[in-house]
Formats: sequence, structure tokens, C-alpha cells
Amino acid sequence: MDSNEPEKIEAGGAAGPPEPAAKTARPASRGKVLAGAVLAIALVSGLYLVNQYWIKPASKTQATNNGDHPEAPLISLTDIFGKKLDLADYKGKVVVLDFWATWCGPCRVEIPAFMEMQEKYASQGFSVIGISLDDDSQPVVDFYREFKMNYPVAVGTQRIAELYGGVLGLPTTFLIGRDGRLYAKHQGAIDPSVIEDEVQQLLAMGAAGGNTDFKPAALAGTSTHIELGDPATVDSEVPGLNLNRLTAAQKQDLKERLAERRCTCGCNLTLLKCRQVDRACRFSLKVAQEELDKILKAKS
Amino acid sequence: MKTVPLICMFVLLAAPMTVAQAPDQVVKAKVTMASQVVQQKSVIRAAVVAEVDPDYHINDHHPSLNYLIPTEVKLEPAKQVTVQSITYPAGGPKKFAFSDAPLSVYEGTLRIDVALQVDRRAPLGDYKLKGQLAYQACNDHACLPPASIPLVFSFKVTRYRAAAKHSTHHAAE
Repeated sequence: MDSNEPEKIEAGGAAGPPEPAAKTARPASRGKVLAGAVLAIALVSGLYLVNQYWIKPASKTQATNNGDHPEAPLISLTDIFGKKLDLADYKGKVVVLDFWATWCGPCRVEIPAFMEMQEKYASQGFSVIGISLDDDSQPVVDFYREFKMNYPVAVGTQRIAELYGGVLGLPTTFLIGRDGRLYAKHQGAIDPSVIEDEVQQLLAMGAAGGNTDFKPAALAGTSTHIELGDPATVDSEVPGLNLNRLTAAQKQDLKERLAERRCTCGCNLTLLKCRQVDRACRFSLKVAQEELDKILKAKS
Repeated sequence: MKTVPLICMFVLLAAPMTVAQAPDQVVKAKVTMASQVVQQKSVIRAAVVAEVDPDYHINDHHPSLNYLIPTEVKLEPAKQVTVQSITYPAGGPKKFAFSDAPLSVYEGTLRIDVALQVDRRAPLGDYKLKGQLAYQACNDHACLPPASIPLVFSFKVTRYRAAAKHSTHHAAE
């Protein structure tokens, strides 16, 4: 026998028959499946987190005053009867700031309850303020008179909606404490007793504020972590874009580029004009962002 | 190793759920033309086919309540091409928490038929008639702002030719 030949190991040797292959491989296979499952969950979670905290924030306005109980952006409007309406005048009061519209069925259903709260709690330093997102004030005036509303209502603007982090659906209701801070945000219509409970909690707050015991309703669509719009983006010369990194010449270049092209949303306006009159237009926002990115890339 | 394809499949299936749908894209719409070529002095038939996100509805063209914003196809006026008719489907009744009576709404897929009359003197060549589908979507708890989707009706106008009367002459012979 050639000494280089491998030694044959025969079955049925003195040590007994070898273990079947399946029995020895099973624990390793189970471990692989578990590792695979953990890896898959980690990958999906990672994708979710990347989208939530990197892609989504990069694609919308960056808030400068976020988190729990940020300061409510101060807004100054004229109500539907021509009277000045300044949120700053309500410091020290609890405010329900209700974004609504006359064409919104769920919004209309909430209003009688807000009127009751206005009646019940006004003497304790409370007010509802309605911000209508109707295009025109006349339907709002008609509604106000028909339903005998008892709190101030103004027609809002997209700028105001953006300052409040973007009002994606109506109604959207904010609870503002006596300290001028936002304590809750409710998206969509909810049981009025939920809002009333939150109002009562905030009314119990001292004027100095800082109600750390505030407990918002644990409902879908309710949050205390409120993202607000970045004024640099909201009040930009090209609404929706933060131009702080551009020089004056680059800003002018950007505006000229946007003024040369038409938006494809069907508005027949230039991209620049569309941005200015329809901040919600995603077509002009997308192209404007692309043009800004080109300028920033060329700069670097 | 079987676990790798399984992992890949799981990730591929789960990944889309991580990207939230933009709330203002709850309706998609496209234009379908019965014919891309049409003669002068004839009618072009087209349809706007819209798909509404299953979690939302849009209002009937004739809304149940006067404050609701109707679904509407709007077309830009064009020289010598006029709208002959726009036919909307009937909505379906649906009960909502905010309304005592059911409302007539569109859900799922809907088709709006559009007929355009081409004038006998319409210039020959390619046309892109612009329009938009205007709508306002809600679910049971919240409403999205009124929105519109741009539409383009593309067709070519050729010279009008009267149909020849061959059958009448042959019968006479």
C-alpha cells in the first residue's frame, strides 16, 4: 500500500457507527436561520430608520425648534371680520389652534364642541382660534354666521401651515399652553372629550408653564413630539428651499433658472411663480430643489 | 444556502413598507385615447382613468352636500377643438361619521369619458390638449387639501375626407 494513500476509515469500526449527517448539522442550521432572521430584521429596521431620520428630514423643511413642547410659532393675521388676530396676545392663555376648512366634513363636526369649550372655559383664560385653509374668506364668513361661532377665525396661508410643520390633513389641532408652548398635535378628527381633557390639564398649569405632568391622549394621530417648519425655508425667496448657503449672485442665478421654466403641474406658471403661489406643489418643489442642488454642487 | 434567498425575499417585501406614501398622492390618473389620429369635423373619444388610494375617497362630480368639492375634469380651451361632453360615473353611497346620510363618493378606479369635437377647419397636425383632474380626498377622519393632476390629451388631426358612396352605385347597377 502506498504510504501516500489516505487511510480509509471504514464504517462499523470499533468506535461504533458514525452519527448520521443530519443529526450533527441540525444545531448549526437552526443557528443560521436565527442569524438570518436577525439580519433581515436589522436590515428592514435600518431601512426604516434611514428613511425616517435621513431621507424624510432631508426632503422636507428642517425644523429649528423641535421636540416635546416647542414654542408655538407666532402668527399675525386678520380675522374674517377684519380684526387683527395675533397669537402673541394669547400668551398666558390656553389655546386650541384648529386648522380646518368649510369643505372638510370631519372639521365641521368638531366645531360645535369647540364652541362649547369656548363658552365653558373662556373665563379661565382659554380660547379656540380657528385657522381656515379655505381659498376664499366668503364661505368661512357664511359658515361662521350660520353656525354662530363664538371664537376668532382667520383664513390662514400655506406659509402658516408650513411654520406649524405642514398641515397634511384637516382637521389638525394644536394645544398651546399658557407658556406659549405646544403640548399636543392631533391629526384628524378625534373625540372632543379628549381635547377637553387636555385643555383642563393645561388650564391647571401656572402662567409660568412647564407642565411636565401633561398627559396627552394616547391616540393614533396624536403627538407631543412636534416638528415645526424652518423659518429659513418657509420665508425663503423660493419657498420650500433654504438658500442660506448661497451667495447673493447664486440666489439670483437660481431664481433666473426657475423663472425660465414652466411648472408641469398644470398651473401654467413659471417654477418660481408656482413656488411662490402654491407652496404645496410638489412638482415645482422637486425641480427647484434639483436646481439648488446643482448650484451647491458646482459651488463645492 | 436557503436562508440567504429567504432573507433577500423578506427584505424586498418589507422594504416598501418603510417608505411612507406621500399623502397628496392618493389619486393617480392617466388619459387613454380611443384613437390617436382623428379627422377634421369628427369627434375624439378619450377617457380619464383615475385610481383612488383604498384608504380614501373623492367626492362625486355632483356632491351630496353643497360644501363638498366635486371631482372634475377641466380642459384648457383650444382653438377649434371643443369639449362635446364629459361623462362622469355615478358615485357609490358611503356612510361617514361626519354625515347623517350616506354620501356619494368615488372609490377605487373610476373612468370619466371625454368627447372632443374637432372643427372642420382645425389646423392639421399634432395636438396636446392640456387639462387637469381636480379632486379633494378624505377618509373617515381627515381631509386632504384640494388637489389636481395634470392631464394631456395627445392626438393628430388629419384632413377631412367624406366617406365614398360605393355601395349605392353598385346596387343601382
